[in-house]
Amino acid sequence: MSSLQTIQRMMVDQFDLKLEDLKPDAQLESLGLDSLSVIEFMFNLEDELKIKLPDERVEIKTIQDVADIVDKIVAEQKGSPQ
Amino acid sequence: MTRRVVITGLGIVSPVGKSPGEFFGNLMSGHSGIKHLQTDFIDQLSIRIGAPVDNFNPGEYFSKIQLSGIERFSQFALVAAAQAVQDAQLELSEAEHPRAGVYMGSCLGGAGTLEDGYIEVFKRDSPRIKPLSVLLSMNNAAASHLSIKYRLQGQNITYATACSSSAIAVGEAYRQIKHGYADVMLAGGAEAMLTLGAMKAWEALRTLALEDPHDAGASCKPFSKNRSGLVLGEGAAVLVLEDAERALKRGAKIYAELAGYDCSSDSSHITKPDAAGQTRTIINALRDARLRPQDIHYINAHGTATLAGDIEETKAIKQAFGAHAIDVPVSSTKSMHGHLMGATGAVEFMAAVLALHHNAIPPTINLHEPDPECDLDYVPNQGQSDVKLDAVMSNSFAFGGSNAVLIAKRHIS
Repeated sequence: MSSLQTIQRMMVDQFDLKLEDLKPDAQLESLGLDSLSVIEFMFNLEDELKIKLPDERVEIKTIQDVADIVDKIVAEQKGSPQ
Repeated sequence: MTRRVVITGLGIVSPVGKSPGEFFGNLMSGHSGIKHLQTDFIDQLSIRIGAPVDNFNPGEYFSKIQLSGIERFSQFALVAAAQAVQDAQLELSEAEHPRAGVYMGSCLGGAGTLEDGYIEVFKRDSPRIKPLSVLLSMNNAAASHLSIKYRLQGQNITYATACSSSAIAVGEAYRQIKHGYADVMLAGGAEAMLTLGAMKAWEALRTLALEDPHDAGASCKPFSKNRSGLVLGEGAAVLVLEDAERALKRGAKIYAELAGYDCSSDSSHITKPDAAGQTRTIINALRDARLRPQDIHYINAHGTATLAGDIEETKAIKQAFGAHAIDVPVSSTKSMHGHLMGATGAVEFMAAVLALHHNAIPPTINLHEPDPECDLDYVPNQGQSDVKLDAVMSNSFAFGGSNAVLIAKRHIS
């Protein structure tokens, strides 16, 4: 299941952005989010979804990029042995 | 050859007003911004009073995106700077941006963020803290935000000299323009340290005022026989300083000329103030302003209401002013706005400049029984309006022995 909706909701809450502007292919930079805002947002995602995002840098340009990374980690964490 | 420096814009966020007009009006009416604090850590404090900036809604000034990177002390600084720049109707040409700088003072910078980080790591065993913690808490954050917002590409320095930080920031900015290194400077200070850790640290030093049993607002009693120490406050003040010729050419409104400044060190004791060091600074500032003691018509004292501090400052004024000491009104506006630490020098210099501008002297409130060793005219309880002021002085005498004195005079071209 895609985390896209959670991500959109969190962006509305955290940044006062409008849901209709948060299309999957929306560029984060054009939404007014610079690299620091994105880092802050990813940390909040970790807390909200109880996941650990990879340390290595990943290219994040659009909202879909964020959802893709999160979905990958969630799937990996679900599949990993307890 | 040196240049004359004038003050063309003022901005302030303080416990007694969020604009220069509100600030000075409340000072003149003797209104105290000192109160019982409303915080969730109040039970952990032994001394529960302070001078907070109440009803400050960051959402009124900044978007949520901006706020994630701007800490409370920087928020204060940006709001004060916006007022000052608007007040001065300041516009810089392309060529002027590298000739414009910002000097700010702050003691603890982003104290709240620092504290949040420590709580996360040491109390909650969290593996990480807010990612922007460094950028929020660093002492130079406020000055940097001002530099970015107004494209001030000249000098950008944050002074940390305890209670004299922002007086020194203003004085050094004056020197930058006076000696031709800059044409325009934003100068001031910002502090937001009403946090649990910072307040406990000050409590431990046993230098905070005890709460007045009848009225929390009356707890700061400079020069009074029953004074018991300082009250911590928060806020920011920013002044626009300009080369006088530039200001006159563009028809700027001029509050005053920043005529004199000196800073020096007591080199005596880390906390105990030394009248000799303070006297030296006062005399040097007068010399820099080419004024005599009798030319000063009002002194905004450092006046923290500590037992030692008020006496030493009284001695210093007497030594520097001689026979004229008894004639000059001296008031401590800390009695109303509290001690704003890294911002207090600029806040108090602004009070002195506004006094000059309005020909009115704010009082020292809560002064009903003076200490016999403090026997100057401290303008007790009631301000003086309709006085004629031509030059004013503001004193800042800090822990560590750092002293700064600023003098403003009526500008005559």
